[in-house]
Order: sequence, then structure tokens, then C-alpha cells
Amino acid sequence: MSTLSSTERTAKRHMGINTSRRISNTAAYTVLILISIIWLVPFVFIVLQSFRVESTWQVGYVIPQKWGLDNYANLFKTDFPRWYLNTFIAAVATAVLQTVIVLCMSYTLSRFRFKMRKPLMRFMLILGMFPGMLTMIILYRVLKDLGMTQANAVPGLILVYIASSGMGYYVSKGFFDTIPKSLDEAARVDGATRFQVLKKIILPLSKPIVIYTILTAFMGPWGDFVFARYISFGTSSGMNVAVGLYNWLNRDQIANNYTMFCAGGVLVAVPVTLLFMCLQRYYVEGVTGGAVKG
Amino acid sequence: MANVKLTDVKKIYDKNVVAVHDFNLEIKDKEFVVFVGPSGCGKSTTLRMIAGLEDISEGTVEIDGEVVNDLQPKDRDIAMVFQNYALYPHMTVYDNIAFSLRLKKVPEDEVYEKVTNAANVLGITEYLMRKPRALSGGQRQRVAIGRAMVRNAKVFLMDEPLSNLDAKLRNQMRAEIILLRQKLDTTFVYVTHDQTEAMTLGDRIVIMQNGYIEQVGTPMEVFEMPTNLFVAEFIGAPKMNTFKTKLIEEGGKYYVTPFGSKIEVNGIKGDMLRERNVKSQNIILGVRPEHISLAENGGEDTIPCTLEVNEMMGSELHLHVVTEDGSHLIVRTPTVDLDADARRELVYGKKLNITFEGKVMHFFGEEDNRNLLV
Amino acid sequence: MTHYSDLEFLKLSRGQKIGYKTASFFRSIPIGIANFFKKIGLGIGKGCKAVGREIADIGRTFRDGDIHTKMSFFIMGWGNLARGQILRGLMFLLFEIVFIGYMVLTGGYWLSMLPTLGTKGPVKELDPILDVFVTKYYDNSFKILLYGVLTLFFIAAFIYTWRVNIKQNKLAEQILKSGKKLKSGREDLRSMVDDKFHKTLLALPMTGIIVFTVLPIVFMILVAFTNYDGTHDGYYSNLFTWVGLDNFNTLLGWSSGNKAYSAAFGEILTWTLIWAFFATFTNYFLGMMVAMLINKKGIRLKKVWRTVLVLTIAVPQFISLLYVSKMFAKNGLINQGLMSLGWITQALPFWEDATWARITVILINIWIGIPYLMLITTGILMNIPQDLYESARIDGANAWQQYSKITLPYMLFVTGPYLLTSFTGNMNNFNVIYLLTGGAPTNPAASTAAGSVGYTDLLITWLFKITTGAESKYYMASVVGIMVFVVVALISLVVYSAMPSIKNEEDFQ
Repeated sequence: MSTLSSTERTAKRHMGINTSRRISNTAAYTVLILISIIWLVPFVFIVLQSFRVESTWQVGYVIPQKWGLDNYANLFKTDFPRWYLNTFIAAVATAVLQTVIVLCMSYTLSRFRFKMRKPLMRFMLILGMFPGMLTMIILYRVLKDLGMTQANAVPGLILVYIASSGMGYYVSKGFFDTIPKSLDEAARVDGATRFQVLKKIILPLSKPIVIYTILTAFMGPWGDFVFARYISFGTSSGMNVAVGLYNWLNRDQIANNYTMFCAGGVLVAVPVTLLFMCLQRYYVEGVTGGAVKG
Repeated sequence: MANVKLTDVKKIYDKNVVAVHDFNLEIKDKEFVVFVGPSGCGKSTTLRMIAGLEDISEGTVEIDGEVVNDLQPKDRDIAMVFQNYALYPHMTVYDNIAFSLRLKKVPEDEVYEKVTNAANVLGITEYLMRKPRALSGGQRQRVAIGRAMVRNAKVFLMDEPLSNLDAKLRNQMRAEIILLRQKLDTTFVYVTHDQTEAMTLGDRIVIMQNGYIEQVGTPMEVFEMPTNLFVAEFIGAPKMNTFKTKLIEEGGKYYVTPFGSKIEVNGIKGDMLRERNVKSQNIILGVRPEHISLAENGGEDTIPCTLEVNEMMGSELHLHVVTEDGSHLIVRTPTVDLDADARRELVYGKKLNITFEGKVMHFFGEEDNRNLLV
Repeated sequence: MTHYSDLEFLKLSRGQKIGYKTASFFRSIPIGIANFFKKIGLGIGKGCKAVGREIADIGRTFRDGDIHTKMSFFIMGWGNLARGQILRGLMFLLFEIVFIGYMVLTGGYWLSMLPTLGTKGPVKELDPILDVFVTKYYDNSFKILLYGVLTLFFIAAFIYTWRVNIKQNKLAEQILKSGKKLKSGREDLRSMVDDKFHKTLLALPMTGIIVFTVLPIVFMILVAFTNYDGTHDGYYSNLFTWVGLDNFNTLLGWSSGNKAYSAAFGEILTWTLIWAFFATFTNYFLGMMVAMLINKKGIRLKKVWRTVLVLTIAVPQFISLLYVSKMFAKNGLINQGLMSLGWITQALPFWEDATWARITVILINIWIGIPYLMLITTGILMNIPQDLYESARIDGANAWQQYSKITLPYMLFVTGPYLLTSFTGNMNNFNVIYLLTGGAPTNPAASTAAGSVGYTDLLITWLFKITTGAESKYYMASVVGIMVFVVVALISLVVYSAMPSIKNEEDFQ
């Protein structure tokens, strides 16, 4: 009798593990599905509304009564293509130049031990505590004197984006720190100059961080609002997409432009998002490494 | 092929941490010198200063008569093997070995010849197209050596090359390094923390501690005549037994009195004591485990003790014993000396009498820990 | 406070232990800060001594040097040229010529005007030929300040280069004396990609940082001590001038006059800190929970869940945030939808009521922030050695205990520095606030003379508003900017001094 009851109890305990796992997994799935809905809803809405033809202002329903590409067509009657081009040029130039600068900086700080290294890093840490926006006023005045504002805002913007990018060396320095130093040393004993070490050993091993740096540098200008607005101030042809589309949602413009904003947003978001999703792996590596290294 | 000369070499890190003190050594052409010592003793730092990977704070390093202090590693004509192999992960084995040759712009067919030759010697020809990550530890080690071999460098530096390998592989690679040395016939500087490696590989051994050289000598010299207590305890396994006792001179004969016994110092050591006319004094006595034997019966020259642990090593036994005053000693005795019954009796708690071999004892000053006979 | 040894501490009761830990935590803050200032003091002392040593060395070099060295004191590069280092010599010489030329042509003027920032503003004068009044422009305070600072930088660079020039002479003499050869120009160039490679690599980034960050920040710090604003823009209208600490007194309420700024500053600073706290920790814990949920054994499609969440990182914020902001507007989708469902009769005041707005921005920030934390924590969670959990399970720990005793301490330890940067980052999170609310709803009490101040305004958005507002009070903006720096620096200092473990990265490895 007693053995029987003990096996029964054992069976029950094993049942317990399975059922409790099933219950907790069901709960987890429920939460995940809920989260996914919350995360997806705004994006689904924005896409749906970009196809709405019957009205251009905000309405209380999501699914268009009349579908069409009118909003997309209308975009090309505005300065939108110009903004798009501006942003694209700025993004490509920033991606290239900023990557070069960041890699120079982080490689140096990771690999060389020179007298000013620690003070330099401390100095940049302190410098980073000042809000960057503070320098906006003077940068605007200087760029204006150089003729790089308003209609010519793009070169000015590129300059602003890349000029101080050396301060964002943390993540890639963290990556370089994980490449064993003995590789550098072996190469130097083998007869390589420091430049050859960088070119032949470090860079081929740094593909993830190079891609991460390019990706983040490329995405930055698409979202920049503050500097772009200040530097292109008042001139439509110098704006980037963020500034242009922001203005469409002003109180006096929103009634005519709300659906066009959605269409423009879709056109901006789709390529950037696709690029991001393709390179997601590298982004995750960079973000994780950066946070752990602090 | 060259000699290496270090004169008053010093390494001071910032904040005045001195890693290497006044290092003086002349390494002869084609000599195999081993730096050995516990971790943090400055041996690797010294090697890296020879390589040019660390700045030399004071003093000079000469290779082949030329002061190389201000030369970059690439201009010193040295080859180096690193502890973690430092193979370039993105290159094949072939490219790894060819790397230095290509930097020197050697023609490709010559590169091919040299690399395949080295691969042949090391037995890694079949792995030439593999990436390092697809190799085992021993194979990686061979590639690292191959990379250094093709350089035809003046000096061959090795920084703990075997310490990442398992024990069996390490023994095998040790033998191969000896063979390699015969083939290359160049100057070697080898760093290790393992005294066995040092003893088996080196023509001369440099024993270091806390940035100081403790002793330089051939393996035999440092084993038979350690200059101080540190060297005595560092060289030899199991470790030398050391303990405080008295050295007494009585009528032209010398005795030591460990643990209440009285043992005569005879043979060469007795002669040396007499020659130097050493006075009776408190000393630290050093006796290697193989120089302690089990005595049949008690007597004035034996020490009673109790067995704690019996380690059966195969050809020999390591007996850990405790004397009556609580000191721990290790006795190393060949297995063949004991018959099966005697061996079976050697268990925890067994009472034993031991005695020391007088002619191979070591005497160190109680204050300065220096060998009385050096 | 009594200090316990380890063994005494272990004997304390649980409550006493917590009390002791808390007490020593708070005690360590002033000690840490005091140490910091002591270090600064020591640093200054050391710096003074170093300057003294340098001057002594310069003197000795002059006394002991040969004729070429002596000449180099006046004509930079002389020694290099005389000793055959043509390239270096020419560089030095060129630099000196440019410097002297600059100082004579314009530098002197800027420097001499710096104390007053200009005396003669624009004047309407009668043009004798055209016989009409035209505005004539004279001094320009903005340029004086900017080029004045630039000139000071240039002088510092010159002194440094001059010093290097002298040092090289001394070194060259020593090298020649010991019978060795000096480096040729070709060797100099080669060392730029080898032993001096770091200087080559740093040249471009550091130039960018100095010109576009350091110089502007120095300039803006100086602006805080002037009356530079839209009506004193230094050229087209009036000159501006130094006003001492007036602006700081206004912002901190230490002046007798206008209290509007100090009131607004207090309000905004408080909300900025509250916001940063909630924005950081809600994201941190919820992000960690989501990561653990996705990582849970038996959950499938892990990649899909992650990809869905990561959408908010991929889509540029101005699209997602602006759109969401409109969704929550009075006549936005949510209000209209709820009303047409009949659940509410009046629009919910998401952006109209102060409390509603504050809570809504925090909630929407979770939507933006969780994915980052999810990615970060996923990486770290996978790095926690599995045997820690296995050993805990064998020791009888349940799921909650495993989380609170292993996961959380490990996470907090590893992400400590990240939490700090994320806190200060949130304090300056311009995008989320500006794109969602623009600072709204307006805070009538704080808004009087200080311009429009909203309940969700952070210091950084306030700074932006002051700059771009009708009066463009640049001097106030720069005082606010300095205050942001002070707050961020203080918080970092406190955290770092109270948690030395942040720096000991080895403990958990």
C-alpha cells in the first residue's frame, strides 16, 4: 500500500513540474503577445493611415474608408524629396567620416600607452557632461559666417555631426580591448609597423564594431531634429526629413498634412528599419558590449 | 645568432613600482638561457624588454654588440613565441607563418619554400590551409613556433610557451623544443615558472624573485649549490625540507642536531665546512626529500615521526611525515626499496624512524638565508 | 560611528546589518567628495611644481646650450635647421611666422578688446555723399569674444610648441654628444605611422573636438557672464558686455530682483530629477523582465519577439514619437476611439493636465526604452555562469530567490556604470520630451517673465526654449547649461565615491 502511494506521489510531483511549466509558459506567451501588440500598433496605424484618401486630418478610426496612394504622390509636390536627399547625403557622409574618426580615437586609446592618455580620457568624460545643445548658438553663428546654414545646411550639419564624434569612442574601445594585445605584439615582433598592425591585424578582426559604428553613424542624421532645425532655420530647402515632417504637425498645418506625415514617415522608416534589421546582430553586439564596459 | 647583453637593466612602472632591479646578464651566442621564478618576479618583463615590447627604464640591452634600447621590436631582429600563441585568427596557418616574410617583401616562391619547410619540420603540413581556431592547443603551439622559425632571427624569445598545454602534451613539446634547438642552433631566451622545464631545457638558468636575480648557473650548479634558501626551495620537486636547527663543531667534526637527534655531516660537505672553518651556529638546514631515508631502528642519528599521507607515485613514494614537535617533512623513497608487506604497512599513523644523508645537506644562515658554503 | 570588523559585523542582526551598511554608504559620500577635492588640490599643487620645473629646465637649457640652442629661443627651428633636421626646422619656423603674423595683424586687436567686448556699437551716421543716414558698424562683441578665446588658445599652443622646440634642442645636443645620429626628415615621416602613430591617429579627432566642442564650450561658459541676448547680439543691434555673476544670481534666486527664473529653475530641476529616476529604473527593471521572459526555457520564436521590440530602435524617433504624441492628443486616435466606443464621454487630458502628461511621457518612454534594455540584459543574462543557478537550485532556491540573489546582484554589478550614464542621459533626453509634449502643458506659475515653461520641461528643453524663444536670452541658456553640467557632475561624483565597487571590474569574474 505504502509503496503504491509513494509512486503515486512521485507521479504527482512529476506532473506538477510539467503542469506548472505549461502554466508559466502560457502566461509568458500571453504577456509577450500583449507586448507585441502594444509595440506594433502605432506602426501598423501609421502605415494604414498613410493610405487614407478621404481626409487628410486626424480621425477617430484607423482603417481607411478609401484606399489610395494620393498621400505618397502628394509628397513629391512638396520639398519632401529635397529633405530626403539632404538627410541621405548627410547620413552617408556622417557614416563614412564618423566611423574613421571614432576608430582612430578608440584604437589609439585602446592600444597606445602615452603620457596624456588618462588625462585625455578624463577630460573627455568631463566635456561630455556639458549638454551639447549649449554649443548650438555659437556653432550656428560660425557656420553662418562660413555660409553653411539655411539653404546650404547640409555641409554644415555634416561638420557638426562628425566634428566631435571622437568623444563617442567608448563602445569601440571596449571592443578593441577584447582583442588580445599579444596579437599586436606578435605582429610588431614579426616586423609590422603600428600602421600595418592596424591595417593587417586589427581591422580585419573588427568587422562587427566597424559595422556597428557605421550603422549608428548612419542612423543618427535621420533622427536629428535639434541641430538640423537650428541650422536650416526658416529655409525649407535646407531642412532634413525630421524638421520638415515635424513642421507638418504644427497646429496650423496638421489638418492638411497629417496623412502626408504618415506617408513620409513610412518612406523614411522603411529603408532605415530594413537596414537596421539586416545588421541587427552587429548592433546588439555593440550595445551589449558598450553597456557592460560602461 | 648573436649574444645578448643586459647591463643594469631596470624597469620602473609609473608610481615608482620597480618590476626589475639592476639586471645584469650576458647571454652567449647560441646559448639557451631560461628565466625562471614565481609569477610577478619580473622574468616576463625582462624578456619583453629584450623584445622591445616594454620600455627600458634604466640600463642598456645589447644584441650582437648594438644597443637596442631605442629600436622598435621590428628592427631588433628577434623572434618570439607567446604564452597564448598570439596566432592571427583571421589568417590561415600558412598566412600566419608567412606574415613576417611578406612584410619583408620576400618573393612569394621563397615564402612558399620557407613556410613549407618549417611546416615539415614541425609536422603541421596538413593544417596549412586551416584557421587557428580549428587547431588543437599543441598544433597552435607548433604554428607559433613555426612563425618564429622562418624569421631566421638573431635571438629566439619564448614567453611561457608551454604553460597553456596539458601535462602530457607539455612533456612532449618540451622534448621537441630541445630538438628544435639542435636544428636552429641560435640564441634562446626562455621564460617559465616551471622549474622542471628550466632544469631540462636550459644551458643556464636565471632564477628570479621580486625583480632580483637570485642565482645564475647551470642546472647542476643551482641544484647542488643553491646560493640561498629561496633557490633551494624553488628548484627540485618535491620541495626541499627546511627547518631551523644547530650546526655544531666538535673536535674537527661537524654535526647537525635536528629534532633532538645528532647527525654527522660527512663527505664533501663536511670537508667544505672544515675548509671554510665554519663556527658552531644556528642555521636553517635544507634536506631534499630523496636524501631522507627510513631507518630500521631508532638511534642517536634518527628522528622518530608519524606518517600522515602516503602518495604512491609509481616508481617512488612520497611520504608526508610529522615529527614529535609538529614539523612537516616529505620523504621520497624508491618503491623498489620496500617489499610489498612494508609498503602495505605505510598507512596513516604509522610510526617511523628517519635519518638524513650527511654529505648532501644544505646549510643556510639563520639571518640572511644565504648558503654558508657559497 | 563605530566601525565593525568583519567578524563583528557577521554577528549583527539583519536590521543592524542594513543600518550599518546604509550608514557607511552615506558616510562614504562626503568622504569621497572630500577626497575628490583633495585630489584636485594635490593636482594643482603638482601642476604648479611642474611649471616651476619646466621654467628651471628652460633656464638651464639656455645657460648650457650651444649657440644653435640659444638662437632657437628666438627663432624656432633654428637648431633643427642648423643640425640638418630640415623638415622639423621648417615646421617650427613656419609656425612661428604664422603666429607672429596673426598676432600682429588681428590677434592683438581681439585680445585688447576682450576686457570690454567692444566700445563702439552700430551708429547711424550721415553719409556725406549720399546724404542719407546709414548704419555704420564698428566693434562686434560676438567676434571679439570668439576670436579673443581663439587667440588665447593660439597663444597656449604657441607656448607649448616653443617649449617643445627648446626640449628638442636639448635632446639633439645630448644625442649628438653621445655620437649618435639625429632622425632625418624621412625617418620622422616614417615614425608617424609607427612609434608616433598614436599622434597621427589622434590629430584629426582631437582637432574636431577642440574646435567644435572645447572652444564653443569655453565660449558659452564665458557668455554666462555677459548680457548676450537677442537685443544685444553684438553687431546688428547693441554690443554686449561683462556682467559678472548677475545671471547666476538671477537663476539661483540670490538677486533681489526678478524671482521668475529661480522659481522656474527649481520646478524644472525637480521634475528633471524625478523624470530621470523613473525613466531609468522603469526601463531597467521592465526591460530586464522582458529579456528574462524571452529567454525563458521553452519559449519559442525568441528572435521574432526581439525583432518586434527592436522596431522602436530602428524607426527614427521623430516619426514614432511624433505619431504617438498625436495619438494621445485631445482629438487623437485614442480619445476619439474611446469616445466612439462609448467608454468615455470627455477626452482624457493626456497632454493637458500636468500629472497626466508627466505619467504619459514616462509610460511612452518605456515603450521607447525597453528594447535597449532588453538587448543589453539579454547579453548579460547569457553571460551569467549557468552553474551559479544549478548550485542555487541544488541548495534549494526557488525562482524568486534565484532572481534576487543571483540575477539581480550580478546585473546591478555589471550594469552599474551603465545605470549612471543612463540616468544622466535621461536628464538630457531632449527628443522624448520635445517630440512628445514640447514641454506642455504650460505652467502658468513659472512662466511669467521666464518665457513659456511647461510641466514636462526638462532643463535641456528649457535651455532650447530660452535659446530659440523670442528674446533669445543666450546668457540664461548658458547659465542653465552650466547648471546641467554641475548637476550631472555632482551625481556622477556621488555615485562614484559611494560605490567604489563600480570600478572593481574583477569581482564577478
